[in-house]
Amino acid sequence: MDNVLIQMEGIEKSFPGVKALSDGQLELRAGEVHALLGENGAGKSTLMKILSGIYSKDAGRILYKGKEVNIPNPRTAQDLGICIVHQELNLMPHLTIAQNIFIGREPRKGFGLVLDETAINKQTQELFEMMHLKLNPRTKVSELSIAKQQMVEIAKALSFNSQVLIMDEPTAALTDTEIMDLFRIIRQLREKGVGIVHISHRLEELRQIADRATIMRDSRYIATVRIEDVTINQIISMMVGRAFDETAPEVPENVEQDIVLEVKHLKQGRVLKDVNFNLRRGEILGFAGLVGAGRTETARAVFGADHYDSGEVCIKGKSVHIKSPNDAVRQGIGYLSEDRKRYGAVLGMDVETNIVLSTFKKFLGYLGWVNKGKTGVTAKHYIQALSIKTPNMSQKVKNLSGGNQQKVIIGKWMTANTDILIFDEPTRGIDVGAKSEIYKLLNTLAHEGKSIIMISSELPEILRMSHRVIVMCEGRITGNLPIKEATQEKIMQCATQREAIL
Amino acid sequence: MRFKQLSLLVVGLLIAVLLASCGNSTNTTAAQPVATTASVAGATTASVAGATTASAAGATTASAAGATTAAGQAGAAAATGSQPYIPIISKGFQHQFWQAVKAGAEKGAKDFNARITFEGPETETQVDKQIEMLQAALDKKPQAICLAALDSKAVAPLLQKAKAANIPVIGFDSGVDSDIPVTTVATDNLAAAALAADKMAALMGDKGEVALVVHDQTSRTGIDRRDGFLNQMKSKHPNITIVDTQYGGGDQLKSTDLTKAIIQSHPNVKGIFGANEGSIIGVLNGVKELKKEGQIFVIGYDSGKQQIDAIKAGTESGAVTQDPIGIGYKCVESAVKALKGETLPKSIDTGFHWYDKTNVEAADIKPLLYQ
Amino acid sequence: MAVAAVQRRLVIRADALQRVLAFGALIVLIFIFSLASPNFLQFNNIVGILLATAVNGVLAIGVTFVIITGGIDLSVGTVMTFSAVIAGEVITVGQMPVPLGILAGLLAGGFAGFVNGILIAKLKIPPFIATLGMLNVARGLALVISGVKPIYFNDTPEFNSIAMGNVIPAIEIPNAVLILFAAAIIASLVLNRTILGRYTFALGSNEEAARLSGVNVDRWKIAVYTLTGLFSGLAGILIASRLNSAQPALGQGYELDAIAAAVIGGTSLNGGEGSILGTIIGAFIISTLTNGLRILSVPQEWQIVVTGAIVILAVYLDVVRRRKK
Repeated sequence: MDNVLIQMEGIEKSFPGVKALSDGQLELRAGEVHALLGENGAGKSTLMKILSGIYSKDAGRILYKGKEVNIPNPRTAQDLGICIVHQELNLMPHLTIAQNIFIGREPRKGFGLVLDETAINKQTQELFEMMHLKLNPRTKVSELSIAKQQMVEIAKALSFNSQVLIMDEPTAALTDTEIMDLFRIIRQLREKGVGIVHISHRLEELRQIADRATIMRDSRYIATVRIEDVTINQIISMMVGRAFDETAPEVPENVEQDIVLEVKHLKQGRVLKDVNFNLRRGEILGFAGLVGAGRTETARAVFGADHYDSGEVCIKGKSVHIKSPNDAVRQGIGYLSEDRKRYGAVLGMDVETNIVLSTFKKFLGYLGWVNKGKTGVTAKHYIQALSIKTPNMSQKVKNLSGGNQQKVIIGKWMTANTDILIFDEPTRGIDVGAKSEIYKLLNTLAHEGKSIIMISSELPEILRMSHRVIVMCEGRITGNLPIKEATQEKIMQCATQREAIL
Repeated sequence: MRFKQLSLLVVGLLIAVLLASCGNSTNTTAAQPVATTASVAGATTASVAGATTASAAGATTASAAGATTAAGQAGAAAATGSQPYIPIISKGFQHQFWQAVKAGAEKGAKDFNARITFEGPETETQVDKQIEMLQAALDKKPQAICLAALDSKAVAPLLQKAKAANIPVIGFDSGVDSDIPVTTVATDNLAAAALAADKMAALMGDKGEVALVVHDQTSRTGIDRRDGFLNQMKSKHPNITIVDTQYGGGDQLKSTDLTKAIIQSHPNVKGIFGANEGSIIGVLNGVKELKKEGQIFVIGYDSGKQQIDAIKAGTESGAVTQDPIGIGYKCVESAVKALKGETLPKSIDTGFHWYDKTNVEAADIKPLLYQ
Repeated sequence: MAVAAVQRRLVIRADALQRVLAFGALIVLIFIFSLASPNFLQFNNIVGILLATAVNGVLAIGVTFVIITGGIDLSVGTVMTFSAVIAGEVITVGQMPVPLGILAGLLAGGFAGFVNGILIAKLKIPPFIATLGMLNVARGLALVISGVKPIYFNDTPEFNSIAMGNVIPAIEIPNAVLILFAAAIIASLVLNRTILGRYTFALGSNEEAARLSGVNVDRWKIAVYTLTGLFSGLAGILIASRLNSAQPALGQGYELDAIAAAVIGGTSLNGGEGSILGTIIGAFIISTLTNGLRILSVPQEWQIVVTGAIVILAVYLDVVRRRKK
């Protein structure tokens, strides 16, 4: 056991409203690539952020080379040789590549006053040569593609001569050749005895690169296995295990109804390239794809939150031009944002106001006075109908749990009585119990004849809820699968059907 | 596409600059039509005429501060018992001039046994701040109130309130344009500026180019001093041309830079009039920085250490001073008199005086100057 | 590859666009004014413009640093006055030698900036509010300490020569102008060559990323605001020296000219972008415009309108640039 680098035991972490981690465990050895697997929200990222000093743990202990350590901030982690490449990019776009890589530890000359720009450019160049990367260290990061930025992040982590390298979905935005380069570098590092934690949703990559895997589910440790000993299917069943101990997936019958929404040739800059799909009455249409595939962008364009360059949106056969969310609401489209805190709910206001927010006009009396009686009745109705757990209507939304916040937003769109509802990651950050309530709600809405687009990164959720699955990859629709034909493998296949990047 | 829009915008803006600069020929005349209103305020006391005629001699002995006469009445005021509270709302407090008024008022308060407070807004454009101050002062139920209104119309409703509450109002400085004040203690700015114009004309031999650096184009004192100067030049000294009038907000630095611009664009300018202390300091600085000392006649307003030094050194030909200490003193005196039921003249002119190198240390001038 | 190369060139061009445009605008302005008035393009007047830029230029250099961090400093104008008054008190009342007075003035500015930094970095008060508070505190203190009276430097003529003397006897360029250029060069080196400059950009570009990279974000923020305060202090020395007096009522409104100069010069109010060269050009545009319009005797009301329009145009350029990305 003397080659064990990191030992994490019984790690717990709570955020307001959500328990992100109830039992995190990990054992990382020197010279291994250790895959950390689980659905979105299983707690992988949280566990790794604790290891790299970004979050502090509520309970549990971390051993580094057998000694218990405390990692209160990123600096301490770096000093220990623990480095993380973040899922969301953490670069400074206005600085050059080399400046980004050496931020916080710039070599200096001239009595420590002047930055040694030549040195960092040279060292960066050496780093890139080792990685076989053709990049100029003097280029500003804002001029790089997302994939290149990702490589810079990795180079930065490598530059620390880390003992432990954590990569949070490093391949999500990379092309196949870039992935091959990355794996080559990972293998080099493994040879040198570095321990690598590799978080990924691409199970097919595991055989190529990983030695062992730790599987997490519902913020808990499930198992650690040697990759050689298991099949992909076994891993999947460990990841989605929850499906077995719940009721069978509620797949409603596929109603062949009128088309209520049709999107043709929607294009928007480099993000959306020719998006075509339709949505039927009473249908739940699942939108699957990797992060950055353009699902949210499609939804926002249809909802009028962003402008699109060209294309046509038809509602009930009529071509409409939606320029703003206000137009969309008038056309009967509602959008529940993936980022509830920022876009969906006015957190500082009470439940009642939030429910009637987008339909205030209905409740206006003389001279624009809000009819408090009517809004109260409406709010009360939805609090009951959606079983929103709140002490009273005047509770501020920020004090509710994630699931109940989501229900408040659903209530808001139900008062607006919109026919088309777009749910963007409706169960993100919501605990298991609240999830199944939201699922029930979606089914009820579909039964009532509403049409629903459900964007989700959780494949089990897509498979369980949808009548039909649309898969996107890099701004295009790469799959349109009736639920009977949809499997995780098939969806993943479509989701990775990338165009060759020049 | 965007570049085209941008270049259009840039071009448009430059055209606007050019158009604006074409309008300069009409500029100097634009300042003049206010003359008619000014003459109304001009009718105060005989001391004005005296001052104008006496000006050639260099020293005037028009109505003085009255400090000596007032001292005798101090005992009478003390006999009335409890101290009356008299808030004084001025037009400012940061400038030396207002500090001198304040000093005079404090002296008056001591002599006449009154309790005063002295406050004013930061700049002479803050009409709203002054109204708030006046409101607050009225709320304290004072016995009398002294006010130098920034905008007479704006304070009219509050003055009505004061009248209804039987609080006598004393106007000072440019006064209050209303029937309500029992008296107004002020300098006749129009006549004072006219005196400066006469002095300037005499220095220049009644011909040549003159420019003005004024502190403000909206305040009463700014308008009166500008128009008093301009009208006098126009009517009495037709051979003198006013080439430019600029406004520096009383900011010394800005006034310096704009003085230099004036001299630059009118190289033949022979005289510059600075209409308040901040303006004249800027004028002196600008002339000094361009090394034109002695080549341009500079006439100022009010006093202050820098200006007095410049007059002693000869770089400034002279200045018109008001009697700020006298204004403050008379204000309090009048308020106390009004409380005792004495009748007061409708206006009390505290006078203005020409001073230059010859009389700056004279006994009748020195007390009027603040350092 | 060819496409990528063209794209990259375009990006670079868009980035430097504003500085180039600003410089072009300055040249065009000078050209137009020279045509419009024979009195404009003369040695004396050019020196006058340079001198008129000195105070605002130094303030603008200081404020450029905080704007690049994504912050703002509204207190630079009154901190300048505060520094001038402190220097005046030390020299005239304290009877200290002039260099000590200068040092005291600089330190006073630096201290005010340091307090700004503490308020913003440690107490998490938004920069706009914190420095708005400091604006009033500094202004009030300047009045209190001076006793609402100007402080004159008549007994120390060497103080006046800080700004108005000629270090280089051959050419008649006042020291204030040389000090402005020296300050600009030093500031430019600090911004581009030192750790402080690097973190100034890093903070404005992505503060969270800097923090996650182990940069002590709070400490560097305090350092940047302190530096801005030091430049305000230098401006205080310059204005006091030029006026040969510390005028306690001055200073309010100067911050807006300084911010305008930085913005015209291409410093982005969203942070992460900016240059000292651009700021200096911006400051020159403002003073050239003011001087030229005065030379042409344009009514002052219109001078204000034109200056305002220039600022709006500059901010619009900033917005356009951002939208392009």
